[in-house]
Amino acid sequence: MKIDSRLLQKLLPFLSLIALFIGLSIASPYFLTANNLASVAQQTAVFNTMALGMTIVIITGGIDLSVGSILGLAGLIGAMALEAGYPVAVGVLVGIIVGTGCGFLNGLLITRLRIPPFVVTLGALGIYRGAALILSNGLPVHRIPPAFAFVGEGSLLGIPFVLWLLVICAVIVHLVLEHTRLGRYAFAIGSNKIASVYAGIPVDFHTTAVYAIGGALTGLAGMIEASRLMTGQPTAGQGYELQAIAAVVIGGGSLNGGEGSVVGTLIGAFIMGLLSNGADLLNISNYWQQVIIGSVIILAVTLDEVRKRRAR
Amino acid sequence: MLELRNVQKRFGGVTALRDGNLSVSAGEVHLLLGENGAGKSTLMKIVAGIVSRDSGSMLWNGAEVFLNSPSEAAAIGIAMVNQESLLAPHLTVAENIFLGREKKRPLGWVNRREVIEEARAIIKQYGFPLAPEALVGHLSPAGRQLVEICRAIRHGSSLLIFDEPTSSLSDTETQQVFRIVRDLKSRGMAIIYITHRMDELRQIGDRFTILRDGAMVHTGVLADIPTDQLIRHMVGREVDHIYEREHLTPGETVLEVRDLSTAETQLRNISLKLRKGEITGMAGLIGAGRTELCRAIFGVDAITTGEVLLGGKPAHIRSPRDAVRAGIALVTEDRQVSGLALGLPIAANMTLANVERISRFGFLDLVSQNKLCTDLGKTMSLKAASVAQGAGTLSGGNQQKVVIAKWLFRQAQVFLFDEPTRGIDIGAKTEVFELMSELARQGAAILMVSSELTELQHVADRILVMRQGRISGELPRINGASPSQEQIMKLAVPESTAGNKAA
Repeated sequence: MKIDSRLLQKLLPFLSLIALFIGLSIASPYFLTANNLASVAQQTAVFNTMALGMTIVIITGGIDLSVGSILGLAGLIGAMALEAGYPVAVGVLVGIIVGTGCGFLNGLLITRLRIPPFVVTLGALGIYRGAALILSNGLPVHRIPPAFAFVGEGSLLGIPFVLWLLVICAVIVHLVLEHTRLGRYAFAIGSNKIASVYAGIPVDFHTTAVYAIGGALTGLAGMIEASRLMTGQPTAGQGYELQAIAAVVIGGGSLNGGEGSVVGTLIGAFIMGLLSNGADLLNISNYWQQVIIGSVIILAVTLDEVRKRRAR
Repeated sequence: MLELRNVQKRFGGVTALRDGNLSVSAGEVHLLLGENGAGKSTLMKIVAGIVSRDSGSMLWNGAEVFLNSPSEAAAIGIAMVNQESLLAPHLTVAENIFLGREKKRPLGWVNRREVIEEARAIIKQYGFPLAPEALVGHLSPAGRQLVEICRAIRHGSSLLIFDEPTSSLSDTETQQVFRIVRDLKSRGMAIIYITHRMDELRQIGDRFTILRDGAMVHTGVLADIPTDQLIRHMVGREVDHIYEREHLTPGETVLEVRDLSTAETQLRNISLKLRKGEITGMAGLIGAGRTELCRAIFGVDAITTGEVLLGGKPAHIRSPRDAVRAGIALVTEDRQVSGLALGLPIAANMTLANVERISRFGFLDLVSQNKLCTDLGKTMSLKAASVAQGAGTLSGGNQQKVVIAKWLFRQAQVFLFDEPTRGIDIGAKTEVFELMSELARQGAAILMVSSELTELQHVADRILVMRQGRISGELPRINGASPSQEQIMKLAVPESTAGNKAA
């Protein structure tokens, strides 16, 4: 019995997701349609991709508040490359490289200056957003080849292309976390940084790498967002950092580091996506949606804390 | 005034106190003596209301009391001056003295001037060298002790408990604390004083109680008993039970420290050699620089002059990473802070210093990880359900085994053990010693820092003693017999205090 209730609590996020899914299928006839589900997938793909990167960062005990701005900057520069006539694949790659560069810079500042990630990335949030506005003069980039729309809206074998992208990214991040040295070090650094240093782990190198990976995924998310809007918006992604952090935290990640998983984060992001989609379908006002999602974050983390305290 | 009878306390499966007895009267300094783990701190925590007793009785001025919190203890006049001060470093001396006991006013308003004046009055009354406006974070350890004492006096205590107040103080500061203790005593206060420093007992104490293995073994008037007899009671007759190992002839020098000094941690001209198959003991008082020496060798603190040689060649160690790569292992004194990732499984901790061994091109081979770690756990008789169990759920002794396993997995050649038996029970201690002996037999060079002299006597092949940042002497075994505790203490106690017996 004891083990059962523990397992139940561990599965709680997943069960809530299923309950939410079933509940919404009953409550709204429009929910369980291919169109609606595809749009949920597309809507959550951006947050999901960002949240995957945030998961690794949070596991190391860090945080990246600048991901919203990185998303805007990467999407903008990627779109500029497309406008300049480069092929779609190159444009997407440019976005990813810009994101990686921004994340790398964050990591470098955190490890070289020995300043808390919260402060460095809070500053970076302003810098990257400002850079995007300066670069674009505050104006969106419009002249993008129509083929680019495929990234965000297209589908492959009847499944939205963004979902393919997401699955590939999720599998890679999961493998990195559970089956590579980098992942092992990420957990170790987040769980006990001093012990990691004393064990001879190159902590600074891996910390920087983790922020760069987070940036890369955010760059990709920026290109998905740009494709869905078919513009490079210098203001894109404002406030997204909170969504990404929320997804990680709902999925069992700990802001103290050392805990978190890809599956958890995906569930967290989908719970938030379904809540907002469901609220739309049920005509619940946008204002109330924010209240509901905020409450869910607190509720989820409370339940998780109770579970952990009992396990001790 | 205070009377404890047959007090017992268990923590989980460990009995910390079997038969705690203590009787303290007003106007005396009562010494509480015993080895680490004898139950002194537990007994005092019971008196101060920090932990509650399982059974036995506590009489306060003749009436049975049961304290559930430090504030209940404070209310009847019992206060504790902590070894590691529990003060808020960003607040002033005055604010810390009154912390949690501010006068109740509407809106929680605090009158800063009044607080400072009241604090000044207390400080002046005892003649402490403290400024009420100073930030506690800027004070020396001695200054912080004084603030703790002020806090205790402020709420009208009649019994004050000092837990090793001088362990981190200089000589002059120590004398200052003694003056204060005597002054408090002359005002009719009862004082319980815990100390490990044999040199200071007679300067301060009136009566004493000795605890060993959680029970009172002796009590009496200090003037009536010679020091060697005190020590015999503290250590007990079962000394030979602790551990015996075969002492082998050491091989060649593996690690050599030449004339090493550091700026920040004030190590001065340290030279030593660690040899293959030898356990070198390191004794000294707290603050003598033993931990700092380990940190310097391991590349945590920068070396300003001198060098570390490995196999006769300069090692150029500038970080723990360099040290680990060179085959040096550091088992730190505080495994929870710097030894283990408590939230991670045993296997992740065991492999932490050598993930390379279980990975190919950056990818982990989890199957071989689990097999290697399970085998390692078995050879160390680690008590755990599986290597997937969280390291934080293990007992102290088993946690220490995981820390040692981490360095075995790294196949280190030089082991620096800093207080390897701290906070683990006697059975586990023996197992740790066995592991260390086995390492030595296999050819590792071992430095063992310990504050427990009997451990050093039994385990170490020779004992180095540190005093105030220097190595003050080396004591070899003579015909297999270890140096005496008196010989060790003589080298460990600062010269100025050793010569100063004036009361």
